[in-house]
Amino acid sequence: MTTFYFAVAVFLLFNLLAGLVRVHRGPTAADRMLSALLFGTTTVAVLLLLAEVMALPALRDVALLFVVLAAVIAVAFTRVPKHLGEDSE
Amino acid sequence: MTLLETLTVILVSVGGLFFLTGTIGLLRFPSSFSRLHALTKADNVGLGFIACGLALQAESVWVAMKILLVWGVALIAATVSAHLIARFTLRAAGGSRRTPP
Amino acid sequence: MTEWAFDALLAGGLLGLAWQIVASRVLFRSVVLFIVFGLLMAVTWARLHAPDLALAEAAIGAGITGALLLSAYRAFLSRRGTDPGPPPVFPRWAAVGVAALVGALVGGIGWVVVGLEPPEQTAGREALAHLAISGVENPVTAVLLNFRSIDTLSEVVVLFVAFLAARVVAQDLAHAGPGDWLRASRNEPVLVQPLIAFIAPMTVLAAGYLLWSGEHQPGGAFQAGAVLAALGVLLRLTGRLRPTSEPSLAERLSLVGGVVLFSAIGLAGAGVASAVLAYPEGWEYELILLVETALTIAIALPLVLLFSGSGGLRREVR
Repeated sequence: MTTFYFAVAVFLLFNLLAGLVRVHRGPTAADRMLSALLFGTTTVAVLLLLAEVMALPALRDVALLFVVLAAVIAVAFTRVPKHLGEDSE
Repeated sequence: MTLLETLTVILVSVGGLFFLTGTIGLLRFPSSFSRLHALTKADNVGLGFIACGLALQAESVWVAMKILLVWGVALIAATVSAHLIARFTLRAAGGSRRTPP
Repeated sequence: MTEWAFDALLAGGLLGLAWQIVASRVLFRSVVLFIVFGLLMAVTWARLHAPDLALAEAAIGAGITGALLLSAYRAFLSRRGTDPGPPPVFPRWAAVGVAALVGALVGGIGWVVVGLEPPEQTAGREALAHLAISGVENPVTAVLLNFRSIDTLSEVVVLFVAFLAARVVAQDLAHAGPGDWLRASRNEPVLVQPLIAFIAPMTVLAAGYLLWSGEHQPGGAFQAGAVLAALGVLLRLTGRLRPTSEPSLAERLSLVGGVVLFSAIGLAGAGVASAVLAYPEGWEYELILLVETALTIAIALPLVLLFSGSGGLRREVR
């Protein structure tokens, strides 16, 4: 089971790193923010897997903190003025 | 391998596949809105499958409930975040007059 | 094998991200990458068997730093229209020289560290051996609030001094912090009110849980304070808290309460117990809980006020 959990965790981490291409490419600020939100969910899944495989129940608390506070960043993002939201070089 | 473990392996694997579809959607879909549509559903279903799979292996009912609580809160946070970002994108594209808040 | 692959991917990802954050020319990309960096850091602390740090990283990274960077980005954008002046120019030889010096320094320190023998009796083992007399079961809390409480006291003082320093250079309220959501109730997205109605009690619950569980499992005053501060950040961002230039009496009391209470109990230890900052025997658990509660508030409030860029906060009356 340990190997299986770690294999899934590696798979999720790989997904996350592949998704960074979208952060790099953009094109709009919303796209970048959106990818960051996906990565938040991925991280929560990885932490839940690690809690099981490393026998560290406190990691579930970390996952809980991440999901409770996930919306703070989204709210902060909508405070970026809209006409300036499209960033250019 | 017991029945419970087999079930966990299946659920967690399906969850991983949903994350994969989410990532493919993020990379391949053409517009912001279609990407938003792909992500906010796929990754939360994926998290749900993984959470259910892990909850089956939990040592007590309380731990299982905590894992499912993580999923529940994630759903609420993702709903609001998706709404906020979609609204932001729509208004940035100039649709502010026609959209309800 | 898979364990090794996970760690390698994590380390590689962190290094790549760090490089991109510094090297990227698009500012917003750097901001988002830094948020992702915080996520990966939490996983890294988890892999290093340091759940206390993972908790702190989650609370600070998700709740405060992300919002702070986005607000800073916003302030930067709205100021970009005014004359920024010519960009500073550094000669290339100076950059190369600095890079070479820093590289030599890092390499030298690394060389020395790799050559060190691991000590036989470390402070960590000492703390674990004496855990029973500390009054709590979590070794990290035992070190922070009992064995090395002088460090914790100084850290809270540092936070307080940082807040005072920020007040000294503070701008007037019109330019402070993340700006206000003008007439929040009118212009607000429809889902924000239900979100706050759900998240606010959850956050307070999570902070209380972390504070209480710090006694026997990872958690404690710093994590709980950061989580409470994240709630304050959310309320400030959505216009439910209004910045004021002067703190109220309650805010003043909360700001200094942690330091005063901690110092008072510490000084009383000189008379009642064996030494300054020692707890009287049998009262360790109760006193540690009391100090942690005061510290939670004394950590949360300066963090929110630093984010808000104001001296105080009032509830916005609609």
